[in-house]
Amino acid sequence: MAQVNTSRSDRLVDAVGERVRRARGFVDDTDPAALAVIAVMTASILAALVGFLAVSDWTIVPFAVFLASAAVGWVRYQAETAYTIALMMTVSTILILGLIIVFIFRESIPVVQYESATVFGVTVPGLRMFLQPNWDAVSPPIRYSMVPMIHGTVMVTLIASAVAAPLGVSAALFLSEIAPTTVREVVKPGVEILAGIPSIVYGFIGFTVLSPWASDQFQTTGQGSYLFVGIVVGLMALPTVVSVAEDALSSVPESMKSGSLAMGTTDWQTMTSITLPAAFSGVSAAVLLGVGRAIGETMAATVMLRGVPRLTEPLVNVFYGQETLTSIIARNYGEADGLQMDALFVAGVILFITVLVISVGAQYIEWRMHKRLGGEV
Amino acid sequence: MAGARPTDTQLVEDETTEADATAALAIGVSATLFALAVAAMFGRITLTGTLAGVQTVTLLGGLLTVLGLTVIALGAGSRFGYVESTPDPSAGLIAGVGAAVPWALIGGSVASETLGLGTGGGVVGAVVVGGVALAATVLPREDVGSTGPLGALLVVTGLVFSTGVIGPTWVWELGWEQQAAITADFLIPVATLFTTLYGGWASAKAYGGFGARGRHMGAYVLVYLNALSIVAFLFILVAYVVVQGVPGLLTGFELGLGTGPETTIFGVSVALPVSIPFVMNGVALLNDFQGVLPAIVGTFWLVIGAVLLAVPLGVGAAVFLTEYAERGRFTQVVEVATNGLWSTPSIVFGLFGFAFLIPRFGNGKSLLSGMITLGFMLLPLVVITSREAMLSVPDEYRDASAALGVSKWQTIRSVVLPAALPGVVTGVILGVGRIAGETAPILLTMAGGTFVPGSQTVDVIGSFQFTSAPPFVANPALLEATSALPYQLFALITAGVGLGSNVSDPNAFRWATALVLLVVVLSFYAIGIVTRYYFRRRLKHT
Amino acid sequence: MSENQNPQTNQRTVTTTAEQPRTTTAGETDERTRDAWTAYDFDGDAKMTVEDLDVYYGDDHALKGVSMEIPERSVTALIGPSGCGKSTYLRCLNRMNDRIPSARIDGSVRFDGQEIYQDGVNLVELRKRVGMVFQSPNPFPKSIRENIAYGPQKHGDLDTGLLARLLNRSDAAERDELVERCLRDAALWDEVHDRLDDNALGLSGGQQQRLCIARCLSVDPEIILMDEPASALDPIATAKIEDLIADLAEEYTVVIVTHNMQQAARISDQTAVFLTGGELVEYGDTDRVFEDPHSERVEDYITGKFG
Repeated sequence: MAQVNTSRSDRLVDAVGERVRRARGFVDDTDPAALAVIAVMTASILAALVGFLAVSDWTIVPFAVFLASAAVGWVRYQAETAYTIALMMTVSTILILGLIIVFIFRESIPVVQYESATVFGVTVPGLRMFLQPNWDAVSPPIRYSMVPMIHGTVMVTLIASAVAAPLGVSAALFLSEIAPTTVREVVKPGVEILAGIPSIVYGFIGFTVLSPWASDQFQTTGQGSYLFVGIVVGLMALPTVVSVAEDALSSVPESMKSGSLAMGTTDWQTMTSITLPAAFSGVSAAVLLGVGRAIGETMAATVMLRGVPRLTEPLVNVFYGQETLTSIIARNYGEADGLQMDALFVAGVILFITVLVISVGAQYIEWRMHKRLGGEV
Repeated sequence: MAGARPTDTQLVEDETTEADATAALAIGVSATLFALAVAAMFGRITLTGTLAGVQTVTLLGGLLTVLGLTVIALGAGSRFGYVESTPDPSAGLIAGVGAAVPWALIGGSVASETLGLGTGGGVVGAVVVGGVALAATVLPREDVGSTGPLGALLVVTGLVFSTGVIGPTWVWELGWEQQAAITADFLIPVATLFTTLYGGWASAKAYGGFGARGRHMGAYVLVYLNALSIVAFLFILVAYVVVQGVPGLLTGFELGLGTGPETTIFGVSVALPVSIPFVMNGVALLNDFQGVLPAIVGTFWLVIGAVLLAVPLGVGAAVFLTEYAERGRFTQVVEVATNGLWSTPSIVFGLFGFAFLIPRFGNGKSLLSGMITLGFMLLPLVVITSREAMLSVPDEYRDASAALGVSKWQTIRSVVLPAALPGVVTGVILGVGRIAGETAPILLTMAGGTFVPGSQTVDVIGSFQFTSAPPFVANPALLEATSALPYQLFALITAGVGLGSNVSDPNAFRWATALVLLVVVLSFYAIGIVTRYYFRRRLKHT
Repeated sequence: MSENQNPQTNQRTVTTTAEQPRTTTAGETDERTRDAWTAYDFDGDAKMTVEDLDVYYGDDHALKGVSMEIPERSVTALIGPSGCGKSTYLRCLNRMNDRIPSARIDGSVRFDGQEIYQDGVNLVELRKRVGMVFQSPNPFPKSIRENIAYGPQKHGDLDTGLLARLLNRSDAAERDELVERCLRDAALWDEVHDRLDDNALGLSGGQQQRLCIARCLSVDPEIILMDEPASALDPIATAKIEDLIADLAEEYTVVIVTHNMQQAARISDQTAVFLTGGELVEYGDTDRVFEDPHSERVEDYITGKFG
């Protein structure tokens, strides 16, 4: 009878031991020739990877070896080769994400060092980017502040969420609970097609039609406002919210809804008291994913905003729109060089981390709620 | 005691009463007002013009006042027993907050502007008036609380508009450093829109006799309106792009034998019977008409390259995760990585391509870098949909195959993959639709060559060559900075130049580009949705 | 009417004064005989009267011309092999079949004399008066207290919301009283009285089902429909529920679907037998139906020859 209270390190050692045993079993079971082919494949792809990372022209050689050995393996030992290739492909997903993280962080290091600030005698790299609100890439003192862009992203995201969350959840309720089958068959594809409209097209319409109209309506100097960029981005994030929330609402068991209706409640009462609370984790995840989508939206913002990085005056002035974290990258990539380019990478890092945290947060909420419902999935 | 309850609710209701008809009429009026407000916002009707013989502003104001009085009447009718209804003791906090918000806005603006009390006075005014509205909604019985404050809101707004207190020339300078003002052109339609929504909601509640049923009706009206607005919005958006884009698309359009360009089909040189210069030409000095053919070809190759990269990788990873791996640390890490990739913003992919791929592929923007970047973007979607497709293949299939003595890989190859294929294909099509419309990733990795002649479209297949030095295989076409449809549109918006004097209408050219992009992307989506529907129906019938 | 049993063939015949005896066959029972066998005279009022009820799910004819009167304040059991329309019939009595898009219902169902399948019927009100307990317990993912208070709260009879508490109009005391009463009536109070705020999903299957019964009682219905309430439970829990049903019948009209014939024989006052094809074949006093059924098919079913 195994011990109940195994410590974490014991379990880890067990797990590793199990892996080693399985690997040894695999090696024993497999034909040595097949093993050789797999070894050659693995070695050559690793060499190719190293060569690629090192920007070497000779990378093609190990890659060709890999292709050749894979071809041989496929013909002679298909099952083992297939397993190996599938494993390599799985590892590649982790690898790609890792490379993204490494490279965008790496590129931003120089400017982070440049923008150091001293606080209580301690020099903190990058702090000055968040303490002062000036972005000036041209005239000294050259400053790369992230504050105006963060302000812009926050403004746009708040307005976009105010549009996408209520309208999206309401549309999801409609699709999953209210709509008769024929109506649903029209509205559901409609929402999905709305998701397909490219952001540059939204941006183009916003730039050509919406911004001039807004400038006229609010008598602003020049065109470009956080209010309307927010509304457009909200409409773009809407389909995300609708589809994820609708999945969550549809998965509430019919027995629960029947139980409520059989007691003499209206459909709306059942929806608000039973269905929505039961699907709450999924619906919150939907809203969070919509927010993440809004934060990452680039082209509509780039085209519709003014492109001068500064804080609006006053801060809540939604009738003017300057720059977001996404738009500054898209707008300046062409002329930017050196430190300015690195500053764009810093914006990219902020975006990446924020959206990752939101996405992980959404998953965590769903996981917690699953546990709370007494283990019911 | 069972059955001894003195119920005041009937099991079978009476026929439709006048009250029901009044409430329905009120809903109709609010729908009309909604449509008028939307029309005014889009400039289809002007505030100073006339509508049905009356000045538009006066008409809007008048209708609002009538609606408000009707709402109040419906509440009073229920309260004083003229109408059968089942109101709750209170309208509830949600209705209270809903009524308080517009009144607080009015109170705040009146206090700070009309009475000149400044921001502090504005806040106080907002709190006071909002508080009164809240109390007036939640303290009385539901039929009075739901209708009183909202009806009054409508009446006040209507009177303000129809008597000209806020007329078509009204302006409120906000006095900010970056100047902005709220004009009547904006305020009147928007205020009409929101107050009429409140009016419709209150009328629907009255129609349902208040109480749980009334709230059910009110909620359904709003939810239906929301859903239909979204569909209408989509329709108007696409229709607008089509209407604006077709003239540009069809400039120089010719139909007839021999009008089109020459192509070789099966070794025979044939002239196509139709000529659409916009999609068949590039940009060149000697062109009769300019076109976006290079961009179309660029998008085509981008998609092919991305699919060739992402589909094998993604399907392979999905196969490993569902068939070979056991749930544990490794699969969890892969899932986190996949979700991380899926949620990464597109511009970050562009930055990555810029930092990682460009130095390694010719040190400049290239089609190949664009392909690989988009492939990375497509990868997580392929992994997720392929996994779903494979997980939905019932275990019975696998068990049956194993029971026949077939090896695991053979089972995957002959049973699981074919069964999962429809799901994978649908996922790929939808994913392609998404990446075909992406600008940000290709902006930093590929974009260029926007105004090149049609003869210079990138010729990928024909450019493969062997070289004597490593890397021994080269394809200059892949390493060129090329254009694609989304980037083309972006360049036209931001640069706008380079079209030359041959383009009679640059604006139409832009709209036509947008239209072509929209058609390409939406076609993928439409095909994806249809295939998914078709495959799901096939699955249901088996 | 007289009854004879032929000792050689064990064939039963029922002779009415004006008609020839109709011998039973293994096939479908013809309509006139069926009408005779399902006519049940009883004292007192009929709480629900069903006349010629037909239900179609698409092309599938699930219930064929069922007519039945349900006496008040008693237990009526519906038995029969699975798939012969008992649950469908039950769901017609509170119009829960309306939830199924492909269902088509013809015929008449009268509750206290009022037709429930006509325009203008307030379904919310109907379902307040006709309660239902489902086959698998389906408590809400809320606390025990909230589960029971749910019905009255939604009907506006109890207000314990934030606003009520702020305005000192909260019905918390009434709510707790109601919760205790219903739990006692459902024989669950002793087991859960000290953990009323725990999540209802943490209870055992039998407890959850009794909670659902308590919840059903909280809105003070006149009829309680039960769709195989004990089929998912162990024998001890089943016994508790059966005792409960006997008590309930003193105040409420209970209609219970069960595939357990012994259960039907134990607890019901009258029994209706549905056989394959959605036919109501026999209906009458429980003791009579079990000891001396008119129909041979029913006898075969009861003695276990099929089903």
